[in-house]
Amino acid sequence: MARRFEGLTEDWLAVVIGLIVFALALGTLFGADLLGWSGAPKTWIEVSKAVQPASANYASLGGFVALFLTFLFTLLLMLPAAAALGSDLRRFALSFSVVFWLAYLCWIAGNWAYIAVTTPADLEKFGIPWSLKLTGESGYLISLLLGLAIANFLPGFANWLRDAARPELFIKTAIVILGGTLGIKAAEQIELASSVMFRGLAAIIEAYLIYWAVVYWVARRWFGFSREWAAPLASGISICGLSPAIATAAAIRARPIVAVMVSSLVVLFAMVELLILPFLAAAFLSHEPMVAAAWMGLAVKTDGAAVASGAITESLVLAKAAAAGTVYEKGWMLGTTTTVKIFIDIFIGVWAFLLAYIWTRSIEPRKKGDPLRGAEIWERFPKFVLGFVATFLIVFMIALSFEALVKPLGAAMNEANVFRQLFFVFTFFTIGLLADLRKLWEEGIGKLAAVYVVCLFGFVIWVGLAISFIFFNGVRPPLVSG
Amino acid sequence: MAGRDPKIGKELRQMPAEPLLPVEKRLIGWSLGLGGVLLAVLVLLTRAIAP
Repeated sequence: MARRFEGLTEDWLAVVIGLIVFALALGTLFGADLLGWSGAPKTWIEVSKAVQPASANYASLGGFVALFLTFLFTLLLMLPAAAALGSDLRRFALSFSVVFWLAYLCWIAGNWAYIAVTTPADLEKFGIPWSLKLTGESGYLISLLLGLAIANFLPGFANWLRDAARPELFIKTAIVILGGTLGIKAAEQIELASSVMFRGLAAIIEAYLIYWAVVYWVARRWFGFSREWAAPLASGISICGLSPAIATAAAIRARPIVAVMVSSLVVLFAMVELLILPFLAAAFLSHEPMVAAAWMGLAVKTDGAAVASGAITESLVLAKAAAAGTVYEKGWMLGTTTTVKIFIDIFIGVWAFLLAYIWTRSIEPRKKGDPLRGAEIWERFPKFVLGFVATFLIVFMIALSFEALVKPLGAAMNEANVFRQLFFVFTFFTIGLLADLRKLWEEGIGKLAAVYVVCLFGFVIWVGLAISFIFFNGVRPPLVSG
Repeated sequence: MAGRDPKIGKELRQMPAEPLLPVEKRLIGWSLGLGGVLLAVLVLLTRAIAP
């Protein structure tokens, strides 16, 4: 949700924050390990070993110091962003600190060996007889559930944390950082990467054209919604959640309440999808990893929930494949989900412009002196995509031009990845934090929810699966050599 | 979620009927028709360009 304050939107702030992390990570190419001190959870059985510095150069720091430095650095990154967004800095610092520590604790909990270990070799390594085999990414789900519990059982506390509850800012920052990691993979497997991009583009063209029309028709004909409600609802349910719902509401000049109600609904159902679809994908699509990944991008709404569900699906599917003796390279599934989502985001502006054109020409003509401008496509373009493209291309070009730098680049992106994962955890936690189910129900969201349930579970999810299957069937991530 | 109109639930329950205009029917029809045609084209292109 792009909020404008003092000329800077969350999109641009995500670009700035993501590029700072990315640039610091690239320091390793010049012999300066500028992010190696950052602390990331590892699979643990003794809590004292749960967090370790990202780089061996900083091993002497120990886990707690690394974690505390990570907190300070992240807070320093976020404070200017909060100032640009017009937040009270003292209040933001306090609420963000609480969000950081609660979300991080969930991340650590998800890496507990009894939850995270997936292979017999690791069970033996940690000396434990069993594990839930949910992988370390289960920390995301734990943080989502904690956020949800706070929102619904401690609404006063949730409200106090609201200033730091910015899931869109967090996920967009994570996606900018992710661009570098995907750039490395694309350079290493250029043919597969271009195939994934083309298939992703084809899949979202289909999704836009088929999803939107059917959901709009169902909302208008079956549920009797007015155009003002049906169009943002169709965009929210069918395309990608928050941004399209808001862009469509603006395009057809709907009242702000329409965008707000539809957005709340989108967040609520994104959470439901996030808790169900990755496990369905892992259960039934582990033999088609890229179909599963594209499906998450096409079916799960909002950037945050979609990319996050791609991460969980990847960890579950890869763990299942590894247990059966097939070890796929990590990152390709997440890259596929992200590619699909990025294309969807890019097309939002075009789709909103098309709707604005139809509405102004044939449904509610604009007043004189208020013409539809081509610049509106740019205004609705999700600017964080530029950050993603920049980090992707920089790493991709360096890796293609200097083969000797591929390994150091990989190490650099691994350090940046600590923050990518951290922003993922924040995203999950704050998505839960914003979902006050009782309040939504009191505000009369039931009929909107009915359209959502019918379309999402009766149509969107399954058409998304069919489209994913058509375009990604038979495509596999590379196998890990050796 | 602050500042919402408490009457919104009532508005949603008692929404007056707005029949589908011809332009809306055309939008739905063209979107689905184009989707069907492009599905065939894109599948063929995918097989040719990104086998």
